[in-house]
Amino acid sequence: MSDTTLSAHAGPPAVVHYNEAVVRKFMIAAMFWAVVAFAVGCYLAAELSWPAFNLGFSFTNFGRLRPVHTSAAIFAFGGSMLFGTAIYVVQRTCRARLFGGEVLADFVFWGYQFFIVMAALSYVMGYSQGREYAEPEWHLDLWLTMIWVIFAIIFVGTLLKRTEPHIYVANWFYLSFIITVAVLHLGNNMAVPVSFFGAKSYSLFSGVQDAMVQWWYGHNAVGFFLTAGFLGMMYYFIPKAAGRPVYSYRLSIVHFWSLIFLYIWAGPHHLHYTALPEWASTLGMTFSIMLWMPSWGGMINGLMTLSGAWDKLRTDPVLRIMVVSVAFYGMSTFEGPLMSIKQVNSLSHYTDWTIGHVHSGALGWVAYISFGALYCMIPWLWQRKLYSLKLVDWHFWISTIGIVFYISAMWVAGIMQGLMWRAYTPLGFLEYSFVETVQATHPYYIIRAIGGGLFLIGAVIMAINIYLTIRQGESEAHAQAGLSLAPAE
Amino acid sequence: MDNETANSVVGILMIPLGLLGLLLASRALDSEIYLFGLSLTAFAALFGFGVIKRRYDRAEARRAHRSDAQ
Repeated sequence: MSDTTLSAHAGPPAVVHYNEAVVRKFMIAAMFWAVVAFAVGCYLAAELSWPAFNLGFSFTNFGRLRPVHTSAAIFAFGGSMLFGTAIYVVQRTCRARLFGGEVLADFVFWGYQFFIVMAALSYVMGYSQGREYAEPEWHLDLWLTMIWVIFAIIFVGTLLKRTEPHIYVANWFYLSFIITVAVLHLGNNMAVPVSFFGAKSYSLFSGVQDAMVQWWYGHNAVGFFLTAGFLGMMYYFIPKAAGRPVYSYRLSIVHFWSLIFLYIWAGPHHLHYTALPEWASTLGMTFSIMLWMPSWGGMINGLMTLSGAWDKLRTDPVLRIMVVSVAFYGMSTFEGPLMSIKQVNSLSHYTDWTIGHVHSGALGWVAYISFGALYCMIPWLWQRKLYSLKLVDWHFWISTIGIVFYISAMWVAGIMQGLMWRAYTPLGFLEYSFVETVQATHPYYIIRAIGGGLFLIGAVIMAINIYLTIRQGESEAHAQAGLSLAPAE
Repeated sequence: MDNETANSVVGILMIPLGLLGLLLASRALDSEIYLFGLSLTAFAALFGFGVIKRRYDRAEARRAHRSDAQ
C-alpha cells in the first residue's frame, strides 16, 4: 500500500492510500504466466515440427496443450496484466483508493488465478466445450463470471468515488474491456449442463448460429480483451514513459468511440465461404475494413505522443519496446482488415498466414506493450531502480528477432500453402496432395520454433531482470531512486 | 460499508463456497467436477484462513502502534 500526498486542490492536502499490494501480485503473476505461455508455445511448435514430441500421451498431444498455450498467453499473462494495470491506473487517475476493500481485491486476484489453473488442468484432462478461446466448461465459466462481476464492481466503484472530475481516457478503454468481455462471455457460453454434477454441457445454439456466436465472441475477444484493454495501457504508460501528454486527447476519444462501435460487427469475417448468409459475411468484411480508420488513428496518437521526445528512444529501451508495440499494433490492424476481404481470405483462410497474423498482434503488440508496462510498474511499485537497462536491451533485440523469424516464416508458409491448395493441372486435377503441402511447410515450422524460442529467451531475461530488481537492496534503491520513481497522477 | 466489514463479509462467503465444493466432489459424475470440487474447497479454506490471519495481523499492528505512541 502506498501513501501519496496530494496537493493539487485547494485546502489541506489529501492522503490517498492506494491499494498497490494487489497490483504487485498481478505483476508477478503476469511475469510467471508469460514464461509458462511462451514455453508451452515453443513445445507446441516443436510438436508441429517433430511429431515425436507428442510423446504418445493423451495429455501432451497438440489438441490438449494448444488451449493451455492460448489461455496462458491471453487470459493468464494478458489478463493478469490487464487486471493489474487497470487497478493501478484507475486509482491513480481517479485519486481514489480501490473500492471494496483489500480482501475483495485479493479475492479477484486469487479467484482469477484459481480459474486459470483449473482451466489448464481441465484442458489436459480432456475437458473442453470446443469453443476457441472459450474452452472451459460451464462450471468454470460460472466461476469466471463471478470473478469478473466483482472486478467490474471494484473498477466502477472506484470510478464513482473519484476525486478527479474527469475520467481519463485509459479508464474508458479499461471499462469497455470489462463490460464487453462480460457480455461476450455470457453470450458465448450459454449452455445446458447434462447434470449439475458433471462437466459436460451442450450449447444453446446449433449449426451456423452456433458458429456465428462463437466468432462474435472470438473476434471481439481480440477486439475488447486484446485491443481495448491494452490500448488503455498504451494511453497511460506511453505518456508516462515519454514524459509527454497524449498527442491529441480529442483523437483518443474519437479513437475510443469509433473502435468500440465498429469492432462488435466484424466477427462474421471469420466465417467467409461457409453456411453463413452472404449478407452477414459482407457486413463483417465491411466493418472490418472500416476498422482501419480508428486503429490507425490510435496508432498515430500513440506514436505522435513521442513528439519532442524521440531522442529518448536511443537511451530508453523500455520506451523503445512500447513504441515498437504501437508499430506492431498498426501493422497487425492493417493486416487484419486486409485478410477479412473475401478475395484475400479465400487464399489466407485455414493457412498459417492466420497464425502469423495472430502472433504479430499477440507478440508484437500485446506482449510488447505489457513488457513495457511491466518494466515501468516494477520500479514504481517496489520503489527500486530497474536492475539492468542492458538486460532490457537484450530482451528487446532477442525477442524482436524472434518475432521477425516467427511471423515471416508463417507468412511465407501460409501464402505458399494457399497457393498450393488452389493449384490445378491443365486437366483440372489438384496439382499437389495435402501431404506435399505439409512437407513444403516443414522448414518454416522449424524457423517458427526457433523464433518462438528466441521470444521465450527474451522473456526469461525479463523475468531474471525483474526478480533481481525486486531483490536488490532497499536502502540502495531508495537512495538512488527516491520519490522520482513514483509516477505523478 | 467500511473495509473491515467488507473483508469479513468476503471471509464469511468462503463458507458456502467451500461447502459447495464438497457437495460437487461428493456427487461428481466425472473426474473434472471431482477435482474442481475438492480444489474449490481447498481454495475457500485457504482464502478464509488468509482473511482471519489478516484481521489478527492488523489488530496486532494497531496494538503495537498504540503502545509505541504511549
